[in-house]
Amino acid sequence: MKYILMMNTMKAGCEGFSGWEKKDVQAHIAYMIGMAKDLGKSGELVSAEGLTFPDQAKLVRAGKDGMPITDGVFPESKEFLAGYWVVDVATPERAYAIAARGSAAPGPGGAPLNMPIEVRPLMSGPPPVNP
Amino acid sequence: MKYILMMNGTKAHFAEYAKWSKQDIEANVAFMRGFSKQLKDEGVFVATEGLGWPDQAKLVRAGKDNVPITDGVFPESKEFLAGYWIVDVESPEQAYQIAARASGAPGPGGVRGNMPIEVRQVLSGHSDLGL
Repeated sequence: MKYILMMNTMKAGCEGFSGWEKKDVQAHIAYMIGMAKDLGKSGELVSAEGLTFPDQAKLVRAGKDGMPITDGVFPESKEFLAGYWVVDVATPERAYAIAARGSAAPGPGGAPLNMPIEVRPLMSGPPPVNP
Repeated sequence: MKYILMMNGTKAHFAEYAKWSKQDIEANVAFMRGFSKQLKDEGVFVATEGLGWPDQAKLVRAGKDNVPITDGVFPESKEFLAGYWIVDVESPEQAYQIAARASGAPGPGGVRGNMPIEVRQVLSGHSDLGL
C-alpha cells in the first residue's frame, strides 16, 4: 500500500531555516538524504519532494473565462507543506515507523525535532461514489 | 521548473463533497481524468496523486527510541491535502494557468467549482536552499 508522509510544519512568513546555524541545517539535510537513500535501498521509496517556502505560495482560482486569479495571502493558522515522502509498504505500522524516523530529524544543536508527520494512504482510484 | 498544485480542504469541505450526487461526482472524476491526460499530452505532467480521506489521517511523532507515537485528532480548521499534481513548466504563470484549469473542475449541477489551488515551486534539490 502506498502512503504519503507529510511535513506540514511551516507557517506563513516562514523563510526557511531562519535562526538555524549552517552546520545544523547541513546536519538536517544529511539526515534527510540518508533516510531517502535507505528507503531507496529497501525498495520502499516511491517519491520525495521538498517544496519552496510559504512566501512563494500562491492560491489560484479560475476567474471568468477560466483565467487564473492569484492571491498570496493566507491565514496565520495555515499549515504549509514543507515536503513529503511517498512510500510503498506492507502495513500502516511500517509507514508510521518511517514517519517517526522523519520526525526525529535533527534540529538546532542537533537535538531531534520530533516534528509531527501526517500520514495518510494514497487512493488507488477515484473517490467512492454515492449510490 | 517543477510546480506542485495542491487541492486542500477542511473536514467540512470533504463532508460537502460526500453529499454530491453520483452524477456530479462522476462528472468531476471524469474531468480530473481528462485533465491529467491533457497534461500528459502537453508534455508538462510529472505526477498526480489522490489521498485517502481525513478520517484515515494520523499524526506521527518520534517518541523515545524513535518509536512512533500516533495521534488522530486534528483541529476543525485544519486543511487536509485532497490531492495534487506536479507539472514541469517554463514559468510560474504557466503553472497558474494550469491551476486555473483545475480550479474550473465541475461542482454540483456541473457548475464550475472555482476551488482554490495552492501553487508552489518544488525544489529540484537541496542546493536550491542556497547552502
